[in-house]
Amino acid sequence: MRDQLLKSFVDMEELEAVRIAKELVETDGGPVAVLETCKAAMEEVGRLFEAGEYFLSELIAAGDIFNQIMTFTLPKLQQGDVSSIGTMVLGTVQGDVHNIGKDIFKVMAEASGIKVIDIGIDVPHEKFVEAIKEHQPDIVGMCCLITLGVDSMKQTVEVIKEAGLRDGIKIIIGGGRVSEAVMEHVGADAWADDAARGVRLSKELLG
Amino acid sequence: MVSPEMQQLAKERAARMQAALNLKEPDRVPFGGLGGDVIAGYAGISAYEYEFDLEKNRQAALKWLKDFPADSPTGGLGGLDNLTMSVAFVDFPDLANQFFMVNGPMNDALNMKFARFPGRQLDEYSSRQFIGGSNMSADEYDALIADPVKFSYETILPRIAGNLAELGSPASLAAMARLGIVKAQQAAEMRKTGAALAELGYPQGGGGMTFAFAPLDYIGDHLRDLPNVVLDIRKYPDKVKAATEAILEVLLSFSLQGKAVGATTAMFPLHLNEYLSPKLYREFYWPTLKDYILRLADEGMKSRLFCEGWHDPHLDTFLELPVGWGTAAFEKTDVRVAKKVLHGHTCISGGLETGVIISGTPAKIDEYVKRLLGDMMPGGGFILGADVGNLPRNTPIENVAAVYEAVEKYGKY
Repeated sequence: MRDQLLKSFVDMEELEAVRIAKELVETDGGPVAVLETCKAAMEEVGRLFEAGEYFLSELIAAGDIFNQIMTFTLPKLQQGDVSSIGTMVLGTVQGDVHNIGKDIFKVMAEASGIKVIDIGIDVPHEKFVEAIKEHQPDIVGMCCLITLGVDSMKQTVEVIKEAGLRDGIKIIIGGGRVSEAVMEHVGADAWADDAARGVRLSKELLG
Repeated sequence: MVSPEMQQLAKERAARMQAALNLKEPDRVPFGGLGGDVIAGYAGISAYEYEFDLEKNRQAALKWLKDFPADSPTGGLGGLDNLTMSVAFVDFPDLANQFFMVNGPMNDALNMKFARFPGRQLDEYSSRQFIGGSNMSADEYDALIADPVKFSYETILPRIAGNLAELGSPASLAAMARLGIVKAQQAAEMRKTGAALAELGYPQGGGGMTFAFAPLDYIGDHLRDLPNVVLDIRKYPDKVKAATEAILEVLLSFSLQGKAVGATTAMFPLHLNEYLSPKLYREFYWPTLKDYILRLADEGMKSRLFCEGWHDPHLDTFLELPVGWGTAAFEKTDVRVAKKVLHGHTCISGGLETGVIISGTPAKIDEYVKRLLGDMMPGGGFILGADVGNLPRNTPIENVAAVYEAVEKYGKY
């Protein structure tokens, strides 16, 4: 049943995937099996995206299937069933009020086992600092869609440095306007202009 | 009175653009210029002042165009895509064309839920932003298909325009009256700007541009929101298709209203292109877009498509259009890759990566533009431009100057 779930999920057969997951989740050890299979499916979707076979619409559809299945799976999981490979503070930087890219990335990052603390959009520099102090993340993810966000990211990194918190964390920037040149300008550790690459690089940063 | 020299300059600029559109080599590579938030920054005013103070806006734009002259003007009032209103009022051609963008003062009258402006919902130094929103449920596709104009007016407009929430109420009538006053003020300012641009040697009539939109983008940007429309394609494919076909007819008549007042080119900002696989693009996006372009061509109009994000997987679809149909402007697709597919068929525009201009040095930028022009100029059919039209306000001015200097240095045929 796990193979069927994996296949229908990766093939974007939404109704079939949800049907199998509902059946599987009721079996002995089912909730963990469903969770693990869905995580594997999301990873495969990400791989297909990076290979150029899948596109943003498939990432969104996969996120939708994942969320649908998780609504009835998560309540059945025991404490300890869900392990995390690291924590990320994630937000769209000050001045930018867009959330679509951030939200697509968030679902994929969570599916990969990263615990995501979403601090929202138009996040002031100081709020990133406060969130780092509070949640002690391994990675900070900053998003922007508009070009204004580039300088806002740079300023946020500087404020994090001034607070003496830069050395303990990795910073990944993401969004439509980022590139290698922008990463160097901002002083981040990695960049991604799509969610699949963002998740892969975040996992690499986690070691 | 415009001097003969400036009249001549305007002719040269228009001819340069026209040559590229006709896939020929002009005297120098046509350059669409840089712009965006940097224009207000360069003038030393806030984004709020640039958005709301018409005189300051005009002075800032003119200062920029005087110091950084290009072949077409950038800057000015602008605004955010407000297509729902143009669709809702499409039966009133004198108005529909006035409404397709909403700027700060217009939004003070309307209070659009998708719009964010500096000094209002945003910091005074922020960029104006379009955030979209889900304004229609999936079970409303039938109403949309039956009559897109009626649906946009009666159902969507009250949902998206805070001050038109109750159509026909005193509050909504007051909002429309205020909008009329704002538009009259802005039209007077734009006439002044037009005269000043002529004195700076720019072709008149804003280059004869009107707007056009891929029908699926109307659903994604204004009705269902992007993530929802992408899911709708899988869940309700027939309804989505039927909706794009119904919307096409309305949008086409909107664009042709622009032709009636002198527009020769229709500008399409593409949005969902990057989201779709070639299969979905060809099934849900391209058929009505292609039909739109062909029917504009039948009316003697060229199209200019701004292909947001990565357009690589869809490049070959342009070849289904007749040679010289118009211009494809690219954001992330490498113009060199596009040239390999489209040279001799489609005019290509773009090439200047904003990230490089923000973060580079004049020397690096000089080298970057030199290489770019070396690859793109031979054979003509290329217009140099930025990947996205918005440089942030504190972009180093020496980097901006380096682009313009490099165009003069390396851009001559």
